[in-house]
Amino acid sequence: MIETGPGDPPLEELFSVAYEELRRLASLVRRDDRNATMSPTTLVNEAFLKLAGAPRFKAQSPLHFKRIAARAMRQVLVEAARRRHADKRGGGAVVFVTFDESLGSKVTTAGDVLALDAALEALTRLQPRQADMVVLRFFGGFEIVEIAQLLDVSEATVLRDWRAAKAWLAREIKRG
Amino acid sequence: MDSARWERVQELFHDAVDLPEGERRSFLQRACAGDESLIDEVLSFIDEDAEGTLLDRGLAHAATRLLDPDAAALTEIGPYRIVRALGEGGMGVVFLAERTDLGSQAAIKILRDAWLSPARRERFATEQQTLAHLNHPSIARLYDAGARSDGTPWIVMEYVDGVAITDYCRAHTLAIADRLRLVREVCDAVQYAHQHLVIHRDLKPSNILVTTEGHVKLVDFGISKQLDGAGGALTHTMTGLRLMTPAYAAPEQIRGDRVGVHTDVYSLGVILYELVVGHLPFDFSTRTPAEAETIIVEQDAPRPSAVAGKSPLLAGLGRTARGDVDVLCLTAMHKDVARRYQSVEALGRDVDHFLNGEPLEARPDDLAYRTGKFVRRHWRGLAGAAAVLAVIVGLVTFYTARLTIARNDALTEASRAQRIQGLMLNLFTGGDEAAGPAEDLRVVSLIDRGVLEAQNLAAEPGVQVTMYRTLGGIYQSLGDLSKADALLRQALERRRVLYGADNAEVAESLVALGLLRAGQAKFEEAERFARDGLAMSKRHLPSNDAAVARATTALGRVLEDRGSYKEAIAVLEEAARLHSSREPASADLAATLRELFNTQFYAGNLAIAEEVGRRALAMTRQVNGDRHALVAEDLINLGAVQHERGQYSEAERYYREALVISEGWYGKDHYKTASNLTMLGRSLQMQKRYDEAGDVLRRAVAIQERVFGPIHPRVASAVNDLGAVAQNRGDLNEAEAAFTRMGAIYRSVYGEKHYLIGIAVSNLASVYVLQKEYQRAEPLYRQAIAMFAETQSPQHLNTGIGRIKLGRALVGMSRYAEAETELLAGYDILTKQTSPSVPWLRAAREDLVKLYTASKQPEKAAKYQEELAVQRSRVQ
Repeated sequence: MIETGPGDPPLEELFSVAYEELRRLASLVRRDDRNATMSPTTLVNEAFLKLAGAPRFKAQSPLHFKRIAARAMRQVLVEAARRRHADKRGGGAVVFVTFDESLGSKVTTAGDVLALDAALEALTRLQPRQADMVVLRFFGGFEIVEIAQLLDVSEATVLRDWRAAKAWLAREIKRG
Repeated sequence: MDSARWERVQELFHDAVDLPEGERRSFLQRACAGDESLIDEVLSFIDEDAEGTLLDRGLAHAATRLLDPDAAALTEIGPYRIVRALGEGGMGVVFLAERTDLGSQAAIKILRDAWLSPARRERFATEQQTLAHLNHPSIARLYDAGARSDGTPWIVMEYVDGVAITDYCRAHTLAIADRLRLVREVCDAVQYAHQHLVIHRDLKPSNILVTTEGHVKLVDFGISKQLDGAGGALTHTMTGLRLMTPAYAAPEQIRGDRVGVHTDVYSLGVILYELVVGHLPFDFSTRTPAEAETIIVEQDAPRPSAVAGKSPLLAGLGRTARGDVDVLCLTAMHKDVARRYQSVEALGRDVDHFLNGEPLEARPDDLAYRTGKFVRRHWRGLAGAAAVLAVIVGLVTFYTARLTIARNDALTEASRAQRIQGLMLNLFTGGDEAAGPAEDLRVVSLIDRGVLEAQNLAAEPGVQVTMYRTLGGIYQSLGDLSKADALLRQALERRRVLYGADNAEVAESLVALGLLRAGQAKFEEAERFARDGLAMSKRHLPSNDAAVARATTALGRVLEDRGSYKEAIAVLEEAARLHSSREPASADLAATLRELFNTQFYAGNLAIAEEVGRRALAMTRQVNGDRHALVAEDLINLGAVQHERGQYSEAERYYREALVISEGWYGKDHYKTASNLTMLGRSLQMQKRYDEAGDVLRRAVAIQERVFGPIHPRVASAVNDLGAVAQNRGDLNEAEAAFTRMGAIYRSVYGEKHYLIGIAVSNLASVYVLQKEYQRAEPLYRQAIAMFAETQSPQHLNTGIGRIKLGRALVGMSRYAEAETELLAGYDILTKQTSPSVPWLRAAREDLVKLYTASKQPEKAAKYQEELAVQRSRVQ
């Protein structure tokens, strides 16, 4: 799925470096700042900016790197969710209250993230490119046009696939 | 569903989703040729689409929460909570932090790449004692310091909102006199520190901040000392893997010679130079660090008057004055320590002379001896390398010793270890420096060279693989996990080739990789490696072998990192057993036990925690003696267990014992002693010995005031304790005074809007309630609630408690309807948050019973009566 050239650092190394950087950045996340929330997108971009300067990553195209970072981001969040979920001290599933009043009482729990992750796995088995798209958009904050470029499809295709994927995942989560 | 069907469903979905609802059904009927299941499926997706999904909401808020360093599981960084990053320095990242209990703000520096062994952790903690005593208006105070269980040191300092002195002078285009006045302030501060036997060692503009009021504040005192053994220059290499341009480093620091007061003088000289000339004496921008170092040690700085001739800063000065500027700067920066200003005070005096238009004390003739025979040409090959060498050898010894596997042929092992050490030493000594190219003495490049050398050792595979293993370990300790990864994996592979797939050596490599993976947060792999390694080592070594013990500890650590506490405990206990069967008492074992204590205590297994705590205490006494600070720590731990159990007089005994040690170790005027006193005070309070508690807590307050000044959040918190004691004693006047003062301090520090002010106000109101002055209490409670709701959240625990308290006051005034609203609201908030047997919940229930009984609603009263009974029975 990802081609690397002969001189490129192995994928695993790229991934682990991205992962470590994201974790490091994640620890800088602002807390309780009502006006700012740290989105995975921002983290991925920051990680990218930081690492893109490093010589061993210079050969990578930005989108290519961002894709790796998006996957690493997913990993980071899922692991964090897993830890939260398992944490007895929290007394079971920990509920995160969003600051967005328009969502009313809707909250996103650690359990939701884990459910999404599982659903994504299922979607990957069904239509890998679509799942990839979700990871890119949701965890990596890719723009539609960036996804189109990376996956070499039209923007219209991206929009349709994204919309269908969302519906599928939502249903899968409900069922799970 | 399979891919084909999904394709089909998607097609239909896209065609149908945007049709008006009426048309949709008929379209689908036609398109699906009556396949009902297909139609239903498509419709279900259309429903989801309409509803909006998790994926539309975005992950931002959840991510923010998910990615919080989990303070609940482990005390993340002591009692501090990170607010935001302030910046990144050479040694680590600086954050703005807040104490979760006090709410005070501070700057916390986490020295991420500085791995500290337990021994160095102790030293680190001890060193902070002196630094905490520095109490000067121009020095940012050190509040607290510690190390996490993985050895990462953290330092909490006064948060200073300012800019680097050089930037400040530039931004305000200060004239030379004003710049010198700032320098004078700096000299004052540094001189004060010197009088207290603290040398900064790392003075540079970014460490000298100027506040908006135009006052100087020095930060990062003495920190570089904590991290190396030999001198300041190493700090940069060890902790960041980035060699900072040593623009402000003194020649003796670079040479590895002794550092002293004169080192700070030099750095001040460079800063002075920069401020009066407008740029640094040497330009290192195109130089390698090695070249830069050579220049500092050997080359003369150009005279300011010569260089800054056209600069507006020196323009207005006469010839004498310009000459004086030369003398000031260059005497401070003299390469010969003997010819430098002998103290910062002397430098400061001459600055004063200059500002007053008086002649300087330093002589210009001295400058003629600037370069001298005293500069040894081959300094690199000598002291400089020696300092680095000492550190590396130390590390190598550390790791090599760890690698020693008990074998029958002990001699072969010893000679092998020696051989390896010899090889490492060879890397750093040798060669006539004058002949060869400039050596790069960065630790990283030395290790890199080590790797290269190891690659040439194909003829001695056993030695080679140990080199890889050792160097991998060193990389890990330096924080370069990817390099460590490569080396450790190579070591593993080679061991497999050399010794076979299943043996003690391979086992050790597996364990090492397990620990690395844990460091990389790849926990599944980490556990797998650790388990495999442990199992393998058990197959080939006696069960009480050191390697087996270490592998067990490693597994325990990995499990702890994963959050599998139950298992971690079991494994750590096994590890402790193994350690102790080899050596009945050791500092490492004591440290393991201390960690075990924490895990057990935190998991709520008090009885077990106590037992472990006792063992730890006994061992610490044995290893460190009876008067060591760690003994106090162990005693306080045991006290905490007793306190948790409600055995307050037992707790008191421990705290008193610890206090004797704390006072002896830290002194009577130290924040650690103060915190020890506070714990003692609380245990006395719980025993209702309010007078004694008051005395003890007043002492604590006094210390806090002396150390931190009268207007400080720590003092406010201690005063809060005093207020509580007074309240319990019935001395309501004193309680009132205390809480009022608490509120005043917090207001001074935080302005009007802070939840701690809410707490102060609420506590004050409670005093009024005790006096049955409900009218006075009500507005205060409302104020507090508003503050909590605004600064924390309407659903916050504090808001809930506030409302319950307000409810109680309203009940007191027989305003039952309003009381009911408040009590139920507070009750609601609390039940969502804490486990239901919290005193406030009980209070709410009691008041609701009272309320409903008084307002003749017996069924409702009964409901809460029932809950109270359940609560009581649970506590039994």
